[in-house]
Amino acid sequence: MYTRSANNIVERFPHRWSSCGAAVIESVPFYHVSPGSRCLVIGTASCNFRCRYCSNAFVAKEDPFVYVKKMYHLEPEDIIRAARRLECHSIVFNVNEPAVSIPSLVELGAAAKAEGIPMGCLSNGYMTGESVEILASIFSFFNISLKGLSSEFNRRYIGIASSEPIVRNIERLARGWHVEVTTPLIEGANDGEIDVMADILSDIDREIPWHVFRLLPEDEMKGERYPDISDIDAALTSARQKLRYIYFHNFVGSAWVNTQCPRCHSVSIERVSLGCGGDKLKRVVGIGDRCPACGSPIRMLNLVSNRKENT
Amino acid sequence: MSTAIIDARGWQNCFDLRTGDEAEIVGPVCEMVKAVLAGHPYPGDTDFTSNRWVTDTALDLIGRYEPRFVFLTYAQQYFSGRYESMAEGARKDMISRAFGEVERFADASGFAPIIVGTGDMTPVTGIVDLTGLEGLAICTHWSTRYTGLFDATKKDLAFLEGHPGIEGYMPWSEVLSTFGETDRKDARLPEYLLMSRKGYAFRTVGILMKVPVMIPSTNYHIPVYAPGSDAMNITGIRGLIEESLHENKTALIVMEGVGCDDFLWPYRSFGNGKDWFYYEPSEAQYMTITSGRHRFIDFPSGNKYFDVDDRRRDYPFSGIFKSAPQGSFADTFPGKSIAVGNKSMFMHMVTGVDISVECFARNLYNQGTMAVVRRENKV
Repeated sequence: MYTRSANNIVERFPHRWSSCGAAVIESVPFYHVSPGSRCLVIGTASCNFRCRYCSNAFVAKEDPFVYVKKMYHLEPEDIIRAARRLECHSIVFNVNEPAVSIPSLVELGAAAKAEGIPMGCLSNGYMTGESVEILASIFSFFNISLKGLSSEFNRRYIGIASSEPIVRNIERLARGWHVEVTTPLIEGANDGEIDVMADILSDIDREIPWHVFRLLPEDEMKGERYPDISDIDAALTSARQKLRYIYFHNFVGSAWVNTQCPRCHSVSIERVSLGCGGDKLKRVVGIGDRCPACGSPIRMLNLVSNRKENT
Repeated sequence: MSTAIIDARGWQNCFDLRTGDEAEIVGPVCEMVKAVLAGHPYPGDTDFTSNRWVTDTALDLIGRYEPRFVFLTYAQQYFSGRYESMAEGARKDMISRAFGEVERFADASGFAPIIVGTGDMTPVTGIVDLTGLEGLAICTHWSTRYTGLFDATKKDLAFLEGHPGIEGYMPWSEVLSTFGETDRKDARLPEYLLMSRKGYAFRTVGILMKVPVMIPSTNYHIPVYAPGSDAMNITGIRGLIEESLHENKTALIVMEGVGCDDFLWPYRSFGNGKDWFYYEPSEAQYMTITSGRHRFIDFPSGNKYFDVDDRRRDYPFSGIFKSAPQGSFADTFPGKSIAVGNKSMFMHMVTGVDISVECFARNLYNQGTMAVVRRENKV
């Protein structure tokens, strides 16, 4: 996060990281980015949201001043070295919100670009137009969390007034970059907005992969009932006609993590879900970005060529 | 085929354990196990009813399957103090209640218990930060005693020699020779194995974000309750089980995070390793207990775990395992056998039993439960 110093806004704890380790890209999750590739997962501390169900509250809701002694102190070249040593194809920021650590990420992004290592991130998308342009200069693939639409939901569960900036930023990023979207569903809170969210995403780009998460009740919601899987699956019926790639997961054993051809519905990529950041590639049928049965294109970002394909 | 039945709280799905492919299952044993899972949703690793869940689930499964051998793990006291400070009184009370669950199980089931504590816990007093090394240090998962070091430089070794939290480091070839091996080739294995002193944990890239406050102590010895036994080492526990089963239905009960200081039943102190080496609570410790021989080399700390984690591999629901280990006592036990535990998703691999029921919690995030049915032909 930031503080004011001599009329400038500065980062309080630059180059301090809460995490730095190798993971499979499906676990982030990115389902349409170089399947099975390895990424270096990094994160910092704090967030601009106060989600009641935060899975990483011990980092995201903690004052970095308290947490900083537990964090890695790694300069950009250290992170690049770690990525190389761990044979990672990319660097992905995914623990908390990247917008709270922009200066460090700008430096890291420059170093990664010089080394030819692409960067991606998870973000809540709640930031100014200026900030989103900075993130777009650092990252080449995004998973934006669209948590809900109504003001009531956003005030009660997230601590923000409106989702409008998030939708605006998804639209902006999807124009030039690979974007996937994630929505944790809470029964009785935002599950009534499934079709409206699908409409919004479809209007932006029907090929945006949408990760619908079964909420894992953590933090302030720990102890509350887990959402009903069958009910949510049924509620997604209409949305599946609107978007080409809808996944329903964040629980172990999910049956809705495979990529199917939008045209003939043949399975082109199989995955296994362990829930809560544990998804894995099982197998790619054919070559991944083409349907093995009918040859139709499958949206896929190839990190080697680093560009959106099949749009 | 071994079948994995996953219960994600209110919803179940079945898989071929090896391939991870969805599978349609039929048969009385699997149907019975599905009913057990549905009736016992897992409360969570640190929930105050977590150990009670073990007892309740085991008694239910015993009532339906009638096994002769039972393997139980109670781990609530291990997880609860790992990342959040507990007052000493609260910890002792939790351990007392864990033993209360053991007693409840033994009374209700009539099984003869053999109880093993995996070792004492100790507060973290320091961190050995290895992120500045020129070589690559890998600390696997929850280990705090051992770390692997790859491509070490002289400067790295000088740093290790001067660090108060480092007890020593050993070339991997010497680690191998400790366990009677000489020529195992595996690119995942480190050049050196580092050992921390009591109270120290390692910081390397790839470790969990949560920083522990209580970690396994210097457990060269562990407590074992086994009346009449004269065994002295962890490798002798398997023999105790076999001996007991001649006369009794027998339960091997593992108490995680409980060592000689806190063990509440009469016990004998067993060696928990070999020479300079002792086991941390881990897959290797379990496999050594169930197979009767040292298994650290099969499941070594500090290896490049990610080399096998991000490509297609077998046993996707089985944690670190990429193949089914052999040699567990229950693999060849002709009687019926079950396991129930709240430690992690590896009991089905290390116990070798017919049916296992375990929590499916990853880094304390509660996903539900998983049962594995390895054999249905004993009904």
